[in-house]
Amino acid sequence: MRHLSEEELVLHHFGDADSPAALDAHLEECAACRAALAAVRADLSAIDVPEPPERGADYGAQVWSRLQPRLAAEPRVVSIEDAPARTAARTRSRWRRAWAPLAVAASLVLAFLLGRHWPQAVPPPAVSAAARERILLVAVGDHLERSEMLLVELVNAGTEGKAVDISTEQQWAEELVGANRLYRQTVARAGDPGVASVLEELERLLVEVAHRPSSLSLAELDEIRQRIESRGLLFRVRVMETQVREKEKENKETQLPGGKVVS
Amino acid sequence: MERMDGRDDDTEAVAQARTGDADAFRRLVERHSAHVFRLAYRMTRNDHDAEDVVQEAFLKAYRSLDRFEERAHFGSWLHRIAANCAYDVLRARLRRDERVEASEGPEGDRTLAVASADPGPDRLLAGREVQSRLKGALGRMSALERSAFTLRHLEGMSIAEISRALDLDASAAKQSVFRAVRKLRQALGDAASWEATP
Repeated sequence: MRHLSEEELVLHHFGDADSPAALDAHLEECAACRAALAAVRADLSAIDVPEPPERGADYGAQVWSRLQPRLAAEPRVVSIEDAPARTAARTRSRWRRAWAPLAVAASLVLAFLLGRHWPQAVPPPAVSAAARERILLVAVGDHLERSEMLLVELVNAGTEGKAVDISTEQQWAEELVGANRLYRQTVARAGDPGVASVLEELERLLVEVAHRPSSLSLAELDEIRQRIESRGLLFRVRVMETQVREKEKENKETQLPGGKVVS
Repeated sequence: MERMDGRDDDTEAVAQARTGDADAFRRLVERHSAHVFRLAYRMTRNDHDAEDVVQEAFLKAYRSLDRFEERAHFGSWLHRIAANCAYDVLRARLRRDERVEASEGPEGDRTLAVASADPGPDRLLAGREVQSRLKGALGRMSALERSAFTLRHLEGMSIAEISRALDLDASAAKQSVFRAVRKLRQALGDAASWEATP
């Protein structure tokens, strides 16, 4: 009599065997196989079920608040059958997403600098130092978030196949470079070397991505990934984003009731 | 297995979200986030990766709303998308881990040598050793084996559902589950021998 193989026992345990009735019949007669099946079950029961950390009742709202900016950059839902139109719409959307930071950066940096360098003889627009800092924090936080999204896409891109098309990411990187430069210079002037250093590192990577060929081999893509990972850039961007957001929140909380912020 | 189905409200919210109603999609996100996080955490066993999976899963779902068949359960559909995203994250993570291991060398043998030097079969220590071996076995699985096993054993998904979630045929899904179990059992076999050693 042929005993059941380990594979047959495992599949039978999960109810996935091709001929369960035949296996049952064999198990009925064979004590050795019954013992082997019991051993499989005992081993599987030793595996702990990882208990996820608790999430609060407002977790869904938190997820939504992080997701919403990304959805806002998405095209309206289009038919999946219309793939070329969908791709084109996504590309257009990414272009908009890419240009938007530069335009926003330019206007916010201008607002920030106006407050600091407005000629003394002429009254400056009503932008207080606190408001300027808040504007900058919000803008830099958003910029770091967009940059993080790009880094994540690069880290996860092209897991299979011979070549990877990164042309969309390149367009994205190219425009983030412009915004990044403005923020870096502004942050440096504002006397925040920590943020400026992360932005400087980020800028070097963005420039490199923007200047690479649009079609990369997996090895070339790996080089970029290694560069992101070896310098802990993604982690540093995330940490910096969190710190900026926290500072932004603190500023908001310490703002006097009824205090007006120019934006 | 926890499922995110059986909600009539989902059908209405999906229909509205398809027309571009962001508020309808917000309702779906708020309703299903915790379930998606739980699945993502069980697959990745990492808080930060699980959060990434939650974001990616909803983003993919949003992009693919037109592919959702109305007669299906949104929760089950989302569950498959999340499983696929977690699989992607695991693949990326394992690739990184392989590079780190290549530069640092294996750690497992050192752990065993220290444990074996202990005089006497301490049950608590043995229990820890079993969990440590299981963890090591999980680390030796491919992303596919680990994903298929977690979905089958911990999430109770059927082979057909796993096949759809991970883009596999049924026999590949079964094979992945089996290979994962074999690796776990091999690890436990080593642990059992160790446990029996005075």
